[in-house]
Amino acid sequence: MSQVNGVEYGEKDFSWLKFDRERCVRCGVCVDMCPMDVIHFGSQGYPYMRYRDDCWYCDVCTFMCPRQAIVMEELPYLIR
Amino acid sequence: MYHVKQADIVIIGSGAAGTMSAIYAHRADPGLKVVVLDKSKMETSGGAGRGMDALNTVALPPYSQPEDVVELMTKVTEGILDQQVAYRFGEICPRMVADLEQIMEREKGDLFPVDENGNYRLMYLHPIDKPLLLPMDGEEMKRALAHAVRQTGAEVMDRTPAIKIVTSGGKVCGVLAVNIRTGHYYYIKTKAVCLTTGAAGRMGLASSGYLAGTYEFPGCSGDGYAMAYEAGAELVNMECFQANTLLKDHQGPSCGYVAAPRGAYTVNPWDERTWSHGYSSGDSKMGAWKRFTQGRGPIYLKMDHLDEQMIQIIEKIQWGNERTSRGLFHQSREQNYRNAHAVELAFAEEVGVCGGHSSSGVLSDTTGVSNVPGLYVAGDVDGGLPHSYLGGALAMGGLIGEEAAHYASGIPEPEQRTGLKAWLRKEAAEFEAPLGREGGLPTSLVEFKARARVQYYLKPPKNPVFLEKAAWWMERIRQEDLPRIQAVSLHDLFKVQEIKSILTVGEMMARSSLFREESRWGYQHWRVDMPAKKPEWEGVWVVIKKGEGGEMTLAKRQSPAHQWEYPTSMEYAYPDLEFDTGPMFQKGPEWKNPKDDPWMKAHLDAQGMATPRRFMAKEEN
Ligand SMILES: Cc1cc2nc3c(=O)[nH]c(=O)nc-3n(C[C@H](O)[C@H](O)[C@H](O)COP(=O)(O)OP(=O)(O)OC[C@H]3O[C@@H](n4cnc5c(N)ncnc54)[C@H](O)[C@@H]3O)c2cc1C
Ligand code: SF4
Ligand code: SF4
Repeated sequence: MSQVNGVEYGEKDFSWLKFDRERCVRCGVCVDMCPMDVIHFGSQGYPYMRYRDDCWYCDVCTFMCPRQAIVMEELPYLIR
Repeated sequence: MYHVKQADIVIIGSGAAGTMSAIYAHRADPGLKVVVLDKSKMETSGGAGRGMDALNTVALPPYSQPEDVVELMTKVTEGILDQQVAYRFGEICPRMVADLEQIMEREKGDLFPVDENGNYRLMYLHPIDKPLLLPMDGEEMKRALAHAVRQTGAEVMDRTPAIKIVTSGGKVCGVLAVNIRTGHYYYIKTKAVCLTTGAAGRMGLASSGYLAGTYEFPGCSGDGYAMAYEAGAELVNMECFQANTLLKDHQGPSCGYVAAPRGAYTVNPWDERTWSHGYSSGDSKMGAWKRFTQGRGPIYLKMDHLDEQMIQIIEKIQWGNERTSRGLFHQSREQNYRNAHAVELAFAEEVGVCGGHSSSGVLSDTTGVSNVPGLYVAGDVDGGLPHSYLGGALAMGGLIGEEAAHYASGIPEPEQRTGLKAWLRKEAAEFEAPLGREGGLPTSLVEFKARARVQYYLKPPKNPVFLEKAAWWMERIRQEDLPRIQAVSLHDLFKVQEIKSILTVGEMMARSSLFREESRWGYQHWRVDMPAKKPEWEGVWVVIKKGEGGEMTLAKRQSPAHQWEYPTSMEYAYPDLEFDTGPMFQKGPEWKNPKDDPWMKAHLDAQGMATPRRFMAKEEN
């Protein structure tokens, strides 16, 4: 759990990126490469969108993940 | 924790321009110590982080010459530029293109298309008779540039934004930075700085509804503009706003620069074209604005007349490069390029300033240096080279790396302030103050407020009352809200700094717009109280600089005399805004606010209420 502007964001909260835990090897590439510092490791060592609303929906994470474990399932809610 | 470091050159911002600066600085003098700072991650940061599909403006013989770049820039800036800078850029385009091929390890004809004679095949887009747009298969550009920078041995500090450029005796002597993941502070003593922090692209609110859902890379929040200003640099054209026609809601590029050179254009629902050319200059923005305000929107990107093969080419480029979420976006909106009126565009949802897309930024000369010795600028933060996009960032980024290296090799270590540690502690305490603040204002709220004011009061058409109010709000938020802001994490803490930059840039936009007492560049600086260009402003820059007493000073400065005679205007007219609203309510001589308004009395009676006192007209004495 992390707090952003007083709001608790959980790992399961609605987000547009899906991290496939079957495929993910917790290498940290996405955490390292997200240009907006959105992705961090969560409690079980898997990445999630900690700062979800700072996402530029740039698609860098899905492109950089060596395991194709990240899918931009849908667009951010407001622009869908 | 504080760290003091030593460098010859500090590069602030490792986007397109900054990475080239590092590569060229190393080439010019491999012995120099170069530090590269970025608030983001060099491999993926900046406007071109996910790739790029064209160099929008470059001159490559035999199709186009440096003079053609001068012609374009003279035209779209309406003559307010240093033509020598434009020419210098045109001259170094071929070397930049060759370098990029080599850095990306791509064969000729693979990264950029070539014709049967091996010449780069440029495309037409600009409002001149020469082709200046070079398509590019640049998905991997940032990774390749970053790799090349790391190979130079430069010290790369990702997630470490600069917060201050420090001077002594008016010259650059250091940079203060903080790592947003560790909270460590760095003071880097240096002889030169290459400032390559990109646009001020997080100004007006984006219609996406997300603070980070901007057109420009959201990390480009105008920090460079603000830092340069604080360090004593001169900025120009801050009244020439950037406002784009964008994919409605997505805020991504309208696809115009990919589709327009291939035959697409923008129309409204009646298939009226919005403008005669597809290049994003002040006149074409005015055309788009008119369509919307006359209620003759929305605007669509018309592609349904193109053949299937061309549509597939456009799809491939648009969805596989630059802003790849575009494909998903079109899908979710059922926007098919083959259908009429499919791709809906919105106009001017967010105002900002940018040197690459427009012409606002730190004034630089043909060597990329500002008025502060040791401070070099290139890319979107550079106001010296207008409308140069990615090509300008790469070429001039390289140039300033080289120039900064020559400068740094030839001078002794600059003087530093005494009591450096104590000063550093004071700066850090000030920077960190929002972290410890209990129950303060959330950063997102303050950012929203500042940007909402920017959008409301600065969006053209401008008038002096709105502009004054914008400047007033920037100061009020600074005084009233910044001292109460609360950051809840290191990630959040840097946003406070970004808000400060937004306020400084917002004030510059307002004051500069007030100062330029005319209209110019179509929509970009349209004052309804003075809706015409004036001869006394021909060729004149508005120069903003921090005054001795800390106040924002503005001055007129004649830009250098033109060496090439090209047209200095575009065809457009300012709309006549005297809308006829018909006869409006008139108070007759017998009219006065009735003590017992029969309509109100009936309503209140029906609800069994007495007439409240505040609804009663004042008794006349
Ligand atoms: C969506 C989009 C599409 C575009 N398409 C094209 C195109 O097809 N062709 C074209 O020619 N141009 C295009 N452009 C323009 C082009 O991308 C820019 O002109 C170019 O990237 C500018 O380079 P730059 O180095 O000045 O800025 P950027 O590449 O944006 O880099 C700025 C860097 O500064 C960093 N930074 C910001 N503040 C700080 C700080 N305080 N401390 C440290 N670092 C900081 C940022 O993290 C970033 O890495 C496009 C731009 C966008 C946004
Ligand atoms: S890059 Fe892919 S594999 Fe690596 S941590 Fe992220 S999601 Fe998992
Ligand atoms: S889409 Fe871009 S900004 Fe969003 S989490 Fe992925 S890399 Fe980060």
